[in-house]
Amino acid sequence: MITFSNVNKWFGDLHVLRDINLSVGAGEVMVVCGPSGSGKSTLIRCINRLEQIEEGDLIVDGMNVHDRKVNMTQLRAEIGFIFQQFNLYPHMTALENVILAPTKVRKMKKDEADKLGRETLKRVGLGDKVDSYPAQLSGGQQQRVAIARGLCMRPKIMLFDEPTSALDPEMINEVLEVMVNLAKEGMTMIVVTHEMGFAREVAERILFMDEGQIVEIAPPEEFFTKPKSERTKLFLSKILTH
Amino acid sequence: MWGFYFEQLIDSLPIFLKGLWITASVSGLSLIAGSIIGFFWGIIRGGKGRILRRLIGAWVDLIRGTPFLVQIFVIFFIFPEAGINLEAFPAAVIALTNLAACFICEIVAGGIQAVPSGQKEAATASGLSAYQRLRYVILPQSMRTILPPLVGQYVLTIKDSSIVSVIGVIDVTRAGWLTVQRIPEGVLVFGLVGILYFVICYPLIQLSSNLEKRMTVVATRL
Repeated sequence: MITFSNVNKWFGDLHVLRDINLSVGAGEVMVVCGPSGSGKSTLIRCINRLEQIEEGDLIVDGMNVHDRKVNMTQLRAEIGFIFQQFNLYPHMTALENVILAPTKVRKMKKDEADKLGRETLKRVGLGDKVDSYPAQLSGGQQQRVAIARGLCMRPKIMLFDEPTSALDPEMINEVLEVMVNLAKEGMTMIVVTHEMGFAREVAERILFMDEGQIVEIAPPEEFFTKPKSERTKLFLSKILTH
Repeated sequence: MWGFYFEQLIDSLPIFLKGLWITASVSGLSLIAGSIIGFFWGIIRGGKGRILRRLIGAWVDLIRGTPFLVQIFVIFFIFPEAGINLEAFPAAVIALTNLAACFICEIVAGGIQAVPSGQKEAATASGLSAYQRLRYVILPQSMRTILPPLVGQYVLTIKDSSIVSVIGVIDVTRAGWLTVQRIPEGVLVFGLVGILYFVICYPLIQLSSNLEKRMTVVATRL
């Protein structure tokens, strides 16, 4: 579904992605973790070309993202992206937020989109909040609307960029629950997060990044119990002690 | 004394009304055309295209950095040397349109840049085209920042239109000049001129401050 081959990227002099080789299959759930500045957000932002790559090939759903001729609008429609800061449209209600792309990009009819939007908001537990504006919702609710907004496009892939990092602790679980359900339904997901409980429960593989490189990829059991690299051990000791 | 002049002033009323009509048409046409052009330039200037952005930026700086009086002289007196002969009225509208467009361009570009980049990213990520992002996500949000100064700019443009009287457009100001030659009561005549401008501008000033208040309320609610 997603294949990185020798991908390199720089921000000016900073080499943010170094020789990334990675393959994520359909239906797989992969968790990406690593210290801040390690390139994990950049890694997933390249998948829908929110960032450009300078070298290598990145194939998503059979299309070469690096190729300027590829219709990015079409590809992006197949990829849901969830931001740390939710980025809901503040001038629209929850329902309007989730049906904007289906009506404008997928050209879905208004009443059909309306029905889909209501169903999807219900699915993330916000059936009673369709007419609320983002400012009237809590952080956890806003992030669930954002997830519904992604799902309404019926994407093949969902990317999550630290979806719970901006949330108050008591709101993290309601968002993770939605994500766990999604994972169990077979969605292809790449999740940048430090929620190791989530990783343990649903991830098929955990990827650890540092300084733009993939340090280690392993299934959760192996990753937590016998990490190969010293860097991973150090990182785990820091985030798992509290 | 004033009573006598007042009667003469009543006689001059037709020329004032005509002047009012000309002021309204010059300002009105310039504001409509200037808004369209200004939004167009502002959208480009708030976007990514580097060359066009710089080009418009340089033009806007040039126009904002030179007196309007000089600009209108260039159009009316220098253009004919290059073979472009314009009547006073179209010359006035072109000069004022350009001036308004430049100021509106900066207001619009500022409004667009004030929309958080996360909004643009979210819209991009969901597959919306550049036009759709602008139409449904960016412009509606930036209107909140744009509207109050935009209406304020309208007031400034209407007042700037008085300068077109120097090339012989008989607007309210020019009507004042013509009248004062027959009625040597400057206070009375230009008092009337001032009142006429005020009558047009005051509702807009009110609108601008109302919008400002409303937009602030909306901004804190969001």
